[in-house]
Amino acid sequence: MELLEDIKAAKDVVNALLKAKKTFRMYPETNPMYEKTIEDAYAKFRSFFDYRDELKLKIKQNELFCDSEQVYHNTQKEDNIALFFFKDGLREITFKKGFSHKELEEFLKILTVDYDREVVDDDVVTLLWERDFHNIRYVVDESFLAEDEDYETSAVKEARDKAPEADELARAYADAFKEEGVKDISIVPLTDKDLHTLVKELEKDAYNKMDKLLIIIFEMLYQAESKSDHEDVVHFLNDAVEFSIRHGDLETVIRIMEMTKEVTDGPSVPDDIKKYLGLVFSFLGSDAEIKLLGEFLDSGVEIEEKVFDEYVRFLDKNAIQPFITILGELKTIPARKNVINALIALGKKDIQSLAKGLYDSRWYVVRNIIYILGKIGDKKAVDYLIKTVNHSDIRVRKEVIKALGELGTSGVLQTLKECLDDPEVQIRTSTARALGNIRSAAAKSIILQRMADKNFNKNDFNEKKEFYEVLSRWKDNDVIEFLMKILKKKAFFGRAVNDENRACAAYCFGLMGCKEALPLLYKIRDSQNKLLREYAYTAIKRIEYGQ
Amino acid sequence: MASKEEVFTGAKDIINQLAVIIRTAAIHDPGNVAVTTAVDKFVALMNPLIASEGELTLELGGEFFYINETRIRYSLEYLPNFDFLIREFKKRGLGSIVFKSIMKGADMQTFLKAFISSIFSQSPFETLSEDMAGVHSMSVGKLRKVRDEAEGEFDIRREVKKSYFNAVSYTRGVINKIKSGEKIGIKKAKRVVEGMVDLILEEEQLLLGMTAIKDYDEYTYHHSVNVSILSVALGQRLGLSKKILTELGLVALFHDIGKIEIPNEILNKPTNFTDDEWVIMKKHPFWGVRALLKLRGFDATSMRSAIVAFEHHMNYDFSGYPKTRKRFELDFYSKIISLADQYDGMTSSRVYSRIPMSPDRALSLMMERAGKQLDPILFKFFINMIGVFPVGTLVMLDTKELGLVYQSEAMFLDRPKVLVILNGKGEKADSYIVDLTEKDSNGNFLRTIVKTMDPNKYKINLAEYLL
Repeated sequence: MELLEDIKAAKDVVNALLKAKKTFRMYPETNPMYEKTIEDAYAKFRSFFDYRDELKLKIKQNELFCDSEQVYHNTQKEDNIALFFFKDGLREITFKKGFSHKELEEFLKILTVDYDREVVDDDVVTLLWERDFHNIRYVVDESFLAEDEDYETSAVKEARDKAPEADELARAYADAFKEEGVKDISIVPLTDKDLHTLVKELEKDAYNKMDKLLIIIFEMLYQAESKSDHEDVVHFLNDAVEFSIRHGDLETVIRIMEMTKEVTDGPSVPDDIKKYLGLVFSFLGSDAEIKLLGEFLDSGVEIEEKVFDEYVRFLDKNAIQPFITILGELKTIPARKNVINALIALGKKDIQSLAKGLYDSRWYVVRNIIYILGKIGDKKAVDYLIKTVNHSDIRVRKEVIKALGELGTSGVLQTLKECLDDPEVQIRTSTARALGNIRSAAAKSIILQRMADKNFNKNDFNEKKEFYEVLSRWKDNDVIEFLMKILKKKAFFGRAVNDENRACAAYCFGLMGCKEALPLLYKIRDSQNKLLREYAYTAIKRIEYGQ
Repeated sequence: MASKEEVFTGAKDIINQLAVIIRTAAIHDPGNVAVTTAVDKFVALMNPLIASEGELTLELGGEFFYINETRIRYSLEYLPNFDFLIREFKKRGLGSIVFKSIMKGADMQTFLKAFISSIFSQSPFETLSEDMAGVHSMSVGKLRKVRDEAEGEFDIRREVKKSYFNAVSYTRGVINKIKSGEKIGIKKAKRVVEGMVDLILEEEQLLLGMTAIKDYDEYTYHHSVNVSILSVALGQRLGLSKKILTELGLVALFHDIGKIEIPNEILNKPTNFTDDEWVIMKKHPFWGVRALLKLRGFDATSMRSAIVAFEHHMNYDFSGYPKTRKRFELDFYSKIISLADQYDGMTSSRVYSRIPMSPDRALSLMMERAGKQLDPILFKFFINMIGVFPVGTLVMLDTKELGLVYQSEAMFLDRPKVLVILNGKGEKADSYIVDLTEKDSNGNFLRTIVKTMDPNKYKINLAEYLL
């Protein structure tokens, strides 16, 4: 009866392994299901070990056997655990009673690897071998490794057939009595110093091998004899760049580019070699590499600003478009910030390419490009930016108005003036701020003109306040005169609106720190209108105490 | 309580400390403070581990120590103590020490006295065992021969041979695929090398013996496998981990990949190369880098392989080729593989030298090169590994028997196993194997090598005798 029970327990183990193979693919290590899967499988192993000291599974293509009892059968290729082991040559696997929880987890990880992926250079047997489990033993059939099954027989026969018709053993025997005695190959024993030197060398050996390989690749360049040799070198340098980006090693990329630049800057380097090496710079800025960089930036690894700036220094303008593409795909703020900084640096080399980003279908990308163009500060950007003031998304319109204000050329004034008529209050206030940034007399004139308009008074208090705030940037007679007029103005009808305007004028005087306005402000400090009273009081404090 | 991992991490310390107390006790009186301090340290190291494991067995199997059946990896810094302990165990026929329960310093003192005095006995193990009878926390076991029966030895030789030829066959297949432009993965290559690493760990001398036979038609493939085996064996002596040994073996397997671009008529030329042919030969390091990087792109193994393919002829003193504009340090693997490559090249008739050298002559020449073309420290390890009398050396014994060195003995370098092909009367008889470590009842060796000769000089076909 017990025989049946242990076979049943063996089947349970196999089923638990099958289940774990699926679960491990679905859940990360942090998920409670992950730990539960291990616990369940471990419990099945423990149950089996109640009956026996080891679980030995014989592996056939579609079956697993415990003793002679079949404990698993599957003729399908998919999810066939027997075939999974069998195809790599595994023919028997034994779990010993001491099989620990930790070992089980490691074993389950091996079961879960997707071995069909091209980048995976290991198979099940290799991973079992590398882990060197204390409580797992296995038997492997290695014959499939030989490309030719009969090679041993034929090679041995060939070697033996080479025997001369007659060797000269008799002569050897006779000579043995004549020749000098045993040559003493004395062995110099290993000293502590030897061992110490070796240990040091082994420690050093763990360092990154890329720098050495780069020296070799450049050596190949110096000794190249043909066009194809040059092409190979470029190909390897590109691969080195890609490998380094993939591993987030931007410092190495910088070194590669520095070495490449050193060669291209060399006075005696022929033009065709320079041309080939130029391809490495283009490669660095290609779609694929920038996409890879984006993945790295998004990974959350902190990058030193200095390193990233240095990296960007080697990028060519061909990187602009790929950067614009990834700008809309990045998930993290630091990553986007880095890309924006990169585009600010690169955009200076080619405003036109950067401006193409203004036609991107994603509003947030357009907004970022506008920001970048604004930061670059190149007046050439104005023509491109003006075209986006009518963008369907208000956030874009706000950004472009701001950028136009920062660029501040005379060409933007007419556009900004028109924006003051925008039905959206946010656009109108942004425009006012943009005009304020320009600070020119013409900009002031536009603002004053708008504020003098009778319709302006009907605007919301906060909008009006924004305009007055902007106006405070011009501390000149025109403005003082305008404000005085507002502040003195009395009205019998629409008194509330008039007091709002006066409060705004008081606010503006306060911001300007205008002492000439103090007598008038003292007067209205006791106004019956609460708003006016408060704004006058605050303005006085600002002017008198600079608060 | 010590965890399982701690037990095996501490294993190297156990070997080291045991060697230290035995060395100390051999010089000083057991009551000397140097001995008692070392003993106390050993007991303090062992007791937590014994408590954790219940019982701890330190066993010698072949050339390795095992703790509770787990092999203890060589550690470079403790290497002399590892070797010392193996030698001392073997001298006494001691195979294992079982630590059965928590021990006291006095138990260890008894063991030390018994261990040291047993060497003067005719039957050292029996004496040691009797002297230990009163110690309940420890017991000793007799040294087991790894393979007592001829049948077992035959099986393992067959397995070694099979693995060797599988590796060559794989290499041939893979190189042909590369030649025809096919893309190759390294999963199979890894498996081939892992198999070799296992054999190096268990049957080092047998596998090394397979590299002694050079009379194959397609020697290029055998050379690649031989260099891989010799490199892994050397790496193993340096205490490298299994994973690193696999990488070293893989890198070594492809060190000459650049030669696929050399025309066969040059590569297999029966006479010495002309200057022009040398110019082509010297390009193979560049071609090797190109082939490897094109084949695999960039990953840790391909990068390492490309570096070694480039450097393996540069020499320790940079007197070789290619010459480079920028001076740099040679890669550690390059130094190892360069040793293995030179040795296998010198002893074969196809690579570089048209005239093969006998193994002992090759080692003598390499000794002259050590410190110049070859790394002197690694060479010391290499010569210890190959043995003073490498497999395939033709030797005359003091019994006037003529034979070929069949298998080296790692601990007694000058006392290998010899396949006798002419008996004491100079007559050709059925070959038989003699073990030069065997002694007569008076403790004298039964046979000793008195002369070495070059088997090539006498047209002796090693394959006929050794395969």
